[in-house]
Amino acid sequence: MRLSDTMLGAILLMLGLAMGVYAYGFPAIPGQRYGAATFPLLISGGFVVCAIVLLVSGFRASPTPLVMRTEWTRKPGALTAVLITILCVIAYIVLARPVGFIPTSTAILLILFRLLGVSWWKSIAFAIGATLLTDYIFRTLLLVPLPFGVMPRMPW
Amino acid sequence: MDAIFQAFQLVATWPVILTVASAALFGLLVGAIPGLTATMATALLVPLTFFMDPIPAVGAMVTCAAMAIFAGDIPGALLRIPGTPASAAYANEAYAMTRKGEAETVLGACVLFSAIGGLFGTFVLIFAAPALAEVALSFSSQEYFWMALLGLTCAVFLGAQSPVKGMISLLIGLFVATVGLNNPAGVPRFTFGSTEMMAGIDFIPAMIGLFAVSEVMRTVAAGAPAWENVQVKVGNIFGNWGGMFTRYWRQQLRGNLTGTAIGILPGAGADVAAYVSYAVSRRFSKTPEKFGTGHLEGVVEATSSNNASLSSAWVPALVFGIPGDTITAIVIGVLYVKGLNPGPTLFLFNPQTIYAVFLIFILANVLMIPLGWLVIKLAKGLLKAPRSILMPIILVFCIVGAFASNNAAYGIILMLVFGVLGFFMEENDIPIAPCILGIVIGPLVERTFVTTMIKSDGSFLTFVERPIAAVLFAVLVLIWGSILYSRLRGNREEATG
Repeated sequence: MRLSDTMLGAILLMLGLAMGVYAYGFPAIPGQRYGAATFPLLISGGFVVCAIVLLVSGFRASPTPLVMRTEWTRKPGALTAVLITILCVIAYIVLARPVGFIPTSTAILLILFRLLGVSWWKSIAFAIGATLLTDYIFRTLLLVPLPFGVMPRMPW
Repeated sequence: MDAIFQAFQLVATWPVILTVASAALFGLLVGAIPGLTATMATALLVPLTFFMDPIPAVGAMVTCAAMAIFAGDIPGALLRIPGTPASAAYANEAYAMTRKGEAETVLGACVLFSAIGGLFGTFVLIFAAPALAEVALSFSSQEYFWMALLGLTCAVFLGAQSPVKGMISLLIGLFVATVGLNNPAGVPRFTFGSTEMMAGIDFIPAMIGLFAVSEVMRTVAAGAPAWENVQVKVGNIFGNWGGMFTRYWRQQLRGNLTGTAIGILPGAGADVAAYVSYAVSRRFSKTPEKFGTGHLEGVVEATSSNNASLSSAWVPALVFGIPGDTITAIVIGVLYVKGLNPGPTLFLFNPQTIYAVFLIFILANVLMIPLGWLVIKLAKGLLKAPRSILMPIILVFCIVGAFASNNAAYGIILMLVFGVLGFFMEENDIPIAPCILGIVIGPLVERTFVTTMIKSDGSFLTFVERPIAAVLFAVLVLIWGSILYSRLRGNREEATG
């Protein structure tokens, strides 16, 4: 997804203004002119200036559609693949605690391998292998408390 | 002398040497795989460094980055796909040499001159950093303000295709840096009622998201295609070393100098150094017409330059806490976690640690030659490693790494948000590097600005009253002036031509 200069400029303009209005309400350091609001206000000003530059160049240039689809999105399945990847991470955030690291990670790997056209056998082998290896490195060696969920503790 | 001896003792232990060796292999593998950058290698290493002592942690990052920058040359030469952006400047040239059947010459040159460039940068670091630290001891908030601003300026204008987009990226980074309680007034900003955001945006998940997750998403979108015909029949890479060394010493030296200078500049890194050096080489070459047809000259200069800049980028990082490039930006985060707060006092209170880091720099660049040879030999197998298997595994690593940064799902959420942001930014040609530097330098700019204003009771004159501050201000004005001048002239030439 590629935004035209006009579109990008408009979004940044709104973002900059919203940020400025929000930051304006920050309490000041008593007796000082410069405090918590100074820097956010400068940044929001920066966004507004960039937005105006983009808007001007957008209006000058020959009209382009506001949102263009970049080359790769025309490939069948490309957008779905990106969405599935994002959903996989979200699924991990939601499921890892109740279900556990090992089942969730295996499932995510399996889905992504299949999505990329890896054969079933290889997918299953690599999904289980990579998960157990990660579990060993991070839980056992580095003592990261990866959630257990329904899984019993691994023997290592 | 005592400190140097202590440094030797710190480095010469098995855990350190083993860590450095494994980090070297990791860096070589990641660097050699196209699409995985040196910055990404460093970012993926960060979760592991939480669990190490300071010396092996920093040593691992030093080694990994140096190896990855060199290893980026390998797929550049063999496939014309640069392994890291720092190799992009001369990937065409190196590939043209491979097509002529000179793969061993070009790869040999890459190993040799990368190692020498890295050592050159390291020696400048060793001698310049302590001297600069002495000067920096007298710095006050004014000088730090100008230094930080200089870093931000370089981040926007060097290496960015369009300054406006570089600026947008920088502003996004600065905005991210304002989130949380950590500001001079101690007011919660942009936390939207979330307790976790009070502590600010955790740097490490953000980094993993911007550099690794966005890349995974891009590859998945493309369906992870395999690379085409790998031409790998590399003979003896050491064969031509003597000849190359005497023939190209001028280019090599110039590459080292340019690279070191660009590295020391806060905000500009190895990829900028490589592009500049390649252009310089062509400009001063006796045979510029040969460039692009498989000519070694430019490759030598640029490959020396990117490794030299990698080492010297540590000068501003260690002395002022202002990153020289995206890799040192990540390293600064790790230094703080390890209690090695970057700044001139590091040289006063912890000289043995600094010397130990220097020793690891030397070790890494010396190790580069045998390990580099090994990886070149293995390149055929490496380049066949299917991305369809690699990328999902990298994603799981990212998830676990982001989780490990504070053992909460919050890290993974941040990682995902920044992954999507990074993906969107690349789609719109907004560079990522300025954003990272904004996140790291932002708090420094704000703190020094507000402190100075409070000290001076709101008078702007104080920013130029101190001599060094005035000089830094002049440098900044010069840089902005020259940029504006060249833009205006460019516009006029466009209008007349």
